[in-house]
Parts: sequence; C-alpha cells; structure tokens
Amino acid sequence: MQSIRNILQIFREEFSTVIRDSGVWIFFVLLNLAYPVIYTYIYSNESVHEVPVAVVDHDFSSASRDFIRRWDASANVNVIARCNDIEEAKRLWYKKDILGILEVPKSFGSDINTGKQTNVSLFTDMGGLLNYKALLMSASSVAQLSGKEIQVKDLTYALPTTQELTASPIRIEEVKLFNPESGYASFIIPAILILVIQQSLLLGIGTLAGTARDRNKGHLLPTGYLTRFRNPFQIITGKAMAYFTVYVVMIVWVYVVVPGIFNLTRIGLKLDLFIFLLPFLLSSIFMAISFSFLSKEREAPFFIFVFTSVPLMFLSGISWPIEAIPHYWKTISHIFPSTFGIEGYTKIANMGSTLNELLPEWYSLWLLTVVYFFISAYLYYRAMRVKF
Amino acid sequence: MSTHKIYFFSLIIAPLASFIFFADLLKKGIPTDLPVAIVDEDNSSTSRSLAMSLDAFANSKIVLKTSDFSIARKAMQEGQVYGILRIPAGFKKDASSSQAPILSFYTNDSYILPGSLVYKDLRLQTALANGVVQRTMLVARGGTEPELSAQLNPIVVDTHPLNNPWLSYGIYLANTLIPAVFAMFVMLLTVYGISSEIKENTSSQLLAISNGSAGIALLGKLAAQFTVFFIMGSLYLLILYRILNYPANSGIAPMLLAMGLLIVACQSFALFVAGLFDKHRIALSITALWSVLSFSIIGFTFPLRSMPEPLQIAANIFPMRHYFMIYVDQALNGIPMYYSWLHYAALAMFIVLPITVYPLLKRQLQKGIYTT
Repeated sequence: MQSIRNILQIFREEFSTVIRDSGVWIFFVLLNLAYPVIYTYIYSNESVHEVPVAVVDHDFSSASRDFIRRWDASANVNVIARCNDIEEAKRLWYKKDILGILEVPKSFGSDINTGKQTNVSLFTDMGGLLNYKALLMSASSVAQLSGKEIQVKDLTYALPTTQELTASPIRIEEVKLFNPESGYASFIIPAILILVIQQSLLLGIGTLAGTARDRNKGHLLPTGYLTRFRNPFQIITGKAMAYFTVYVVMIVWVYVVVPGIFNLTRIGLKLDLFIFLLPFLLSSIFMAISFSFLSKEREAPFFIFVFTSVPLMFLSGISWPIEAIPHYWKTISHIFPSTFGIEGYTKIANMGSTLNELLPEWYSLWLLTVVYFFISAYLYYRAMRVKF
Repeated sequence: MSTHKIYFFSLIIAPLASFIFFADLLKKGIPTDLPVAIVDEDNSSTSRSLAMSLDAFANSKIVLKTSDFSIARKAMQEGQVYGILRIPAGFKKDASSSQAPILSFYTNDSYILPGSLVYKDLRLQTALANGVVQRTMLVARGGTEPELSAQLNPIVVDTHPLNNPWLSYGIYLANTLIPAVFAMFVMLLTVYGISSEIKENTSSQLLAISNGSAGIALLGKLAAQFTVFFIMGSLYLLILYRILNYPANSGIAPMLLAMGLLIVACQSFALFVAGLFDKHRIALSITALWSVLSFSIIGFTFPLRSMPEPLQIAANIFPMRHYFMIYVDQALNGIPMYYSWLHYAALAMFIVLPITVYPLLKRQLQKGIYTT
C-alpha cells in the first residue's frame, strides 16, 4: 500500500513540476501541437507539378511541334521558353528560370516519315531528384504514346483493334497498391508524427533532468526527495505516469485530430493503432528517462538530442530503403522506439495492416519498454547512492 | 567544465558522427537489388524468361516467386517487397494468338524512393515484353534489324542528368545534410555562448576586459567563435570535396566563401533571437526549431517551388536555403559565380538582424541575470 502511495505522490510532484516549467511545456505541448501541423502544411501539395522547362526545336516540323505540345500538356511540365540553341537555354538554366531542356534534332520529322529511329535529348537540373523524375516520366510517356501512333500510321486500312494490337500486343496495367497518388506527404508525415513524440519526450525529460542538476549542484535528486523515497522502481513509475498522462492527450492530437483535419491517409483501425502506440509511448518515455542522465544542465538536451532526428528518420527505412542500410546501422537503429514505431505506423495508416500483422514490431517495442525500464531504474539506483 | 563538454560535443563529436553516418549510409549513391515478387500464373517458357530478365535490372531483385497473387500482396503489405509483376495464366498462348493478355505490375509508394526505383524497372520490363512480342510479329512479316528497332521504339529519349549522371542520392544528400547539421550547432552554440556568460556570471568580466563596451565584448566573443566554427566548417568541406571527392565543379573556394557567410548568417540570426528573448531557453528553442525546419524548407528532397507560396517567401530567412542554392550552382553545376551573387548577398544581409536588437543584448549583458 505504502508503495502505491509513494508512486502516486511522486506522480503528483512530477506532474506539477511539468506543469510549472515553461521550458518543458515547449517540448511536451507546443512541439507536439505545432510540428505535425507545420509539416503537413509544408508537404500539402503532395507532388511536383509544372516544372518549368525550355525547348530547343531544331526541326520545327509538325511532328516536333506535336511532340512538344504533348509534353507541355502533361501535368508535370510547363514549357516557358523556346530557344534557338542550347547556349540560350543554358543561360535560362543558370538563372534558375528553368530546370530542364528538351532538344529536338533537325532530323526528327524526316526520321519519323522515313521509318528511322529518332532521338530527343532531355537535360535536367539535378538540384532535386523529384523534378528530374517528373520531367523524365512525362517525356518517356509522350515518346511512348507518339511512338505507338507512328507504329500504326501505315495501317490505316486496318481496324482500330488491329491497330491497337500491333502497337501493344500486350496490355499493361500499373497499380500503385499503397499511396496511389505517390504523395510526398502521405509518405513522410507518418514518420514525422512518430518522431515528434519520441524526440519531444527526449527533449522534455532531458530538460527536467538538466534543471534538477542545475538546482541541486549537479545531483539529479533533491535531498528532500531521498529521505522520502528510496525505491528507484517507484520513482520511475511515478514519473513515467506523469509524462504518460500528458502524452495521452498529445497522442490523440497527433494521430487522430491532425490526420483528420488534413485528411491524411489512415486506412487501419483506430483500436489497432492505439494498442500499437501503447508500447511505443512507454518505451519512448523510459528511453527518455534513461537518456536524460546524459543531460548535465538545463540547456544540454538541445545539443544532445535535436540533431538526431534526421539520422533517425534515415534509419527507420522510410527515407532510405532498409535493404540498403548496412547491418551495423540497422543494429543500432533497433535501440530506438522510432524505428519500429515508424515502420508500424506507416503500415497501419498507409497500408491498412492489422495489429496481427505487426506483432514483430509490437513485441520489439515491449522489449524496449522492459529494457529501458530497468536501465532507468538502475541509473536512478546509482544516482541515489551518491553521497551529498 | 560541462560548458567545454558541450562545445566539444557540438563542434566535433556530433557533426563528425553525422558525417560518418551519412557518408557511410549513402556511399553506394543509389540503392540496388530492391526486393520484388513475381506472380507467375502462367508458368511457361515466356513467363520464366520475363522473370529472369527482370532480375537482371540493377535496382530490382526477385526474392519471391509464387503463383498465388495473395501471397505476393501480403509480402508487399509486410514491407518485404516493393513491387510485384503479375503474369496471368495463358499469357504465352494469348500473346502468340493476338489475344492481348494483360501484364500487370504493382508498386508500393509508401516507401517513395524504393517504390519509384522498382516502378522504373517494372515499367521498362513490361514495355520490353511488349517489344519482344512485337518483334516476333514483325520478323514474321520479314523486317530487317534497323527497321525493327525503329518500329519498336520510334522515338527514344536520351536523358542527360546534368552533373549527376550516376543519379546518386549520396551526392546531394551528403552535401546538404552535413552542412545543415553543422549550421544547427552554430546557431545553438551562439545562443548558448551568450547564455552561459550570463548564467555563470562571467558577463561582467567579459565587459571589464572590453572596457565596458558591450559591442566590443560581443564582437570579440563572436569573432573567437567564428574562427573555431570556420576552421571546423572548412575541415568538413575539405572532407566532402577532397577526400570523399564529391563534385566541386567551381573549385572549393566558392564553397569556402559560402561556408564562411553561412556561419556569419547563423551567428547573426541566433544573436537576433537571443536579443529578443532574454529567456535564453526560448531563444534556444526557436533556433532549434528553425534548424530542424531548415531540413525541409531547403527544398533538397521536396522542391521548394512545389510548396505553398508563403513558404517560398519564408524560405529566404533560412540561411541554409541560400547555402543550398549556392551549393547547387557552384559545387554541383559549376556555373559562373555571378549567378549566385544574390544568395551570397542574402547570407551577408543577415548581419543586419542583430544590429536591430543591439540595445537589448547590451542590457542583458550588463544586467547579467540568468532567467530560465
């Protein structure tokens, strides 16, 4: 009974510390409220459209004009200039007016008329691979489509179905099974939503630890605390309960309200989602308590934790395919809840996986919870033995 | 004591760790052998040769062969494969008897990079399959080789990805991520530098050696910090362009200048924020937020021009955005420096920011009260 009373007392004290510390509020509340909204806004256009380009048409036949018109008509491309030569187009590229150049050779029309193969050249700026992809995809689509017409143009006597069959004896069907619009937000936002929870906990709990050290001459626990509470398990349980209470609210905001407002993809079941997130939240809390021992002063978390977000994003297998990550980095990635969290949340939200299909990730998160629980208990145990 | 640790960690350990991490992760430039599945419902000589030629593509590797589509679909949902090629039953028979069988392929764009790489392979592979059947038909009608290729593919697009013909992601990820991490620490350390003078009550000493002038005190401190930052920044550039040999097509000097100005811009921005908020933890929070947002707003993964317009304007007050534009112009494209002058100037312009809050900074140093 006494132990439960102790835990509740620790919970109450920690909760009021959290509430009174504006620095912690920034992380626990403001960050979780603002970041999901800001990022969803940044990527709200989802994909690249109307990339500005120039064309250099040496041929000026009806065939070349037709090709250019079709390319311009595709959603990805916007022809803003027609240049006489490549040099003129390059100057526009230097000025960043255009991000690609299409050059049509002088023989374009005559090649087609005489049944010879012809080439067009596409030059693309590589300052962003999405622009490159957009230009290349549309150019090859137009080439394919125009090519088919050329293939059947001598078959005017044939039936349309025969024409179609000659151009493509096999019908091709492409299906984007998940994230059908290839939306950038649909792909990156799940990872950001998971990271914001984990990173804000690292920062907030790190700040609490640093502040305690600043106030107690380098010690994590005030002397008064030690005379009242002697059990590290009680201390971390009580503290974790305080953070958990705040984060239950944040979780609803981040994973229910924000996706609802911005209409993000969320195919999976809500119940599965919450059951999945439970060990993610718990393991993140206990990891943050463990890592808070690195935070020797109030400002330290900024230096220790902020920069880790980007590498963690890459380690999760979302930005960079997991198959291309060397095994040692993969091993390291398994100590962070975000790795399993991003994997699991992406599958639930984007791919409609059920909890049953996510058991490996779910168990891993429980394992991390247990491991970090004992690590943080041990660290508190050690901190309590230090004489004042 | 712990102040030294923070400098050591922020200037050497953390950027170096990020450096090693990204350089090692991205060393291959582009992921290869991504797992795909083949659903072969036909099991004919044609379908088997289709499968084999797909395996030969660099980006794809067949890890699952099955005749049951639901198995492949499940594998995709579990993230084990990024693409599926489905060859329907009767494919060979239908193709040779002009029944136009349907060849379908599926990709998963929840993982956008591997999804699109595999998509490229699958699309090419299905187009080639089409070509093989066409060729058979044309040969039957008695066509010759050059005629054949013209008829199969009348228009070919030659692509020239300028200055990155390898389509390497490593090139532009490493060249942006590493300076962005460094810029983040420059901002944080600048705020921290002021904050710790006040926190540890050394601001009065600092003022004393500066003959009581807050301006001289600040300039002296910032100049000292700049020297250290610039040495580290140049070192990182040397590693990028001389050891890892990433393209520096205008030579290294324009990038050194960009790095110097980036540091000045970051210091100025941080000083400005520190002046506005005498609670330095708020100042630290804002600079941290700014730096983290930089990674997105630079526009190196998702282009800035595809973001909402207010953000395209706001991007100008992020120093890293200008650095990135200079990087693309100078290191990647190697175009005359004249075309980048606006971004160099923009970085230099950041100096104006702290001047506007100078009286506030002066008061903070003179009062020397640390507020949490």
